[in-house]
Amino acid sequence: MLEVSIRKTFGKFTLQTSFTAEKGVLGILGSSGCGKSMTLKCIAGLQKPDSGSILLNGKPLFSSGSNLDVPSRKRNIGYVFQNYALFPHLTVSQNIAYGLGHLDRTQHKAKVASMVQRMQLSGHAHHYPFQLSGGQQQRCALARTLVTEPDLLLLDEPFSALDTHIKHLLEKELIQIIQENFDGIVLLVTHNIEEAYRICDRIMVMDQGRNLQIGAKEDIISNPVSLTAARITGCKNLFDVRVLEEHEGHVLLEAGQLVFKAQKNHTPVSRHMVAGIRAHHLRLHSGVSHKENVFECEVVEKVEGVFSTTLQVDCRGLLFQLEIAKASCPHLTGTDRGRLRLHIPMKRVFLMEPEV
Amino acid sequence: MDTLNLFPLYLSFRVASTATLVGFLFGLPVAWFLSRGRGKAVDFLDTLTNLPVVLPPTVLGYYLLVLLGRQSPLGAFLEDTWGARIVFTPTGAIIASTVVSIPYLIKAAKTAFLEINEDYLNAARLLGRNEFNIFVTIVMPIAWRGIVAGTTMSFVRALGDFGTTLMVSGSIPDKTMTMPIAIYDALQAGDKAMANLLVLIMTGIAVTVLFTINLLERKMRKG
Repeated sequence: MLEVSIRKTFGKFTLQTSFTAEKGVLGILGSSGCGKSMTLKCIAGLQKPDSGSILLNGKPLFSSGSNLDVPSRKRNIGYVFQNYALFPHLTVSQNIAYGLGHLDRTQHKAKVASMVQRMQLSGHAHHYPFQLSGGQQQRCALARTLVTEPDLLLLDEPFSALDTHIKHLLEKELIQIIQENFDGIVLLVTHNIEEAYRICDRIMVMDQGRNLQIGAKEDIISNPVSLTAARITGCKNLFDVRVLEEHEGHVLLEAGQLVFKAQKNHTPVSRHMVAGIRAHHLRLHSGVSHKENVFECEVVEKVEGVFSTTLQVDCRGLLFQLEIAKASCPHLTGTDRGRLRLHIPMKRVFLMEPEV
Repeated sequence: MDTLNLFPLYLSFRVASTATLVGFLFGLPVAWFLSRGRGKAVDFLDTLTNLPVVLPPTVLGYYLLVLLGRQSPLGAFLEDTWGARIVFTPTGAIIASTVVSIPYLIKAAKTAFLEINEDYLNAARLLGRNEFNIFVTIVMPIAWRGIVAGTTMSFVRALGDFGTTLMVSGSIPDKTMTMPIAIYDALQAGDKAMANLLVLIMTGIAVTVLFTINLLERKMRKG
């Protein structure tokens, strides 16, 4: 288990975060400059926190109280850098062997050879990093750190520099490699909610040096704790609402001229709140519907993507953004677009305290 | 032309080689520090190391005399303790050449070091290596072309120094007379043949060195 509780000030910026991570992949999600990479660097010992403590499997790595700061080289932490940081003057096998300096030659060779094989780099053992494809570079970087059998694996935006088509392949490959070769704690830093959701088990949302929320990824999506958390996790529809009525399982909300129902979540209800609903949870119907929370609307803007269509609809003065899978919206291609109805599924609406 | 006296050639090579070696040993750590450090102290040191390029050689020589002459505390200390004299000795010439040539090495090495991505060093740290080990296994192999170019440049500069060396070590024949001084001396004495020969040798060396540097720089750009 990794237990982190640190504080670090950089001019006007303060990083203050505390969390624990167990076996599995924890995604650290936030926009650039939120302190997510800094958190990783502190854990790895590349940056020194001003105060706090870092414990890995019960072993202290940093503790301001007892003046302890284990140097990076003794932390036994694996780190995969944004651009992989493969040593340009060393071959693939020399790169992989770099962390095994303390072993004797025979052990050394055997380990490197088996790692080269496992990572499907067999034909490239004597190639230099610049001769490798993006995927091979990633495998080489993972091999270099996994061969040292680290207690913790840190991944710092491993896909941010890649093209989309290769990104998905590498993502899959990364998940597979980690599942097959590493049985420990993994932290993945990213600014992309999709990526985090696909790769991670749990997600921590960070903003301005603080963690806003940490939990199972499904929970992060269905129940953001704050407006900022909702925004960072990609929620497009956020409205100031007035709570009209409060019932056993639901509340009645008023936003502008729109009155709709929402399920009650954990947040205590006060009179003025913010309601959010994700773009892909909203539905559009063309015929008459007898469901609750269905309102007539008009399409204001339509942007077609490859697999899904993004729509902006006007519903009594409120603008909603929707994302609809292309296959499921043949009715949108018709000319009769004025008669559409927007369905706001009650269970998908979440309530949050407004931010001052 | 008298019989050909090759002592200045020999002395110049000895002085320049020693100065380059000393500059290498002192200059590399300084260049590394300048490339990684930040703050006022670093800026100050950066300025200080560049000063010899800008200052007139005579001014530099004057400073060295003030600092190392027999009347200075340091000069007096050296003479009293080890009987070591610096002014008007080959040692003085070495010190003068070192001071004059070290900025070229520092500048080139610093530029080469600056191009090394910090992530390489961090990766090496996390793979269990200590700082000295990283310098030898990562920094030097990546930056070697820049360092070689800087070392060569600084060698040529040390070889060709005239003003500062003359100020500090004088021009005692067969003791402190280096090539550039010998050329001046030969010309003054009307020994044109001697001057021509020495000039030719110096030019040959300079051209060879520049050619080598260009070659290295072209390879460096290719990566």
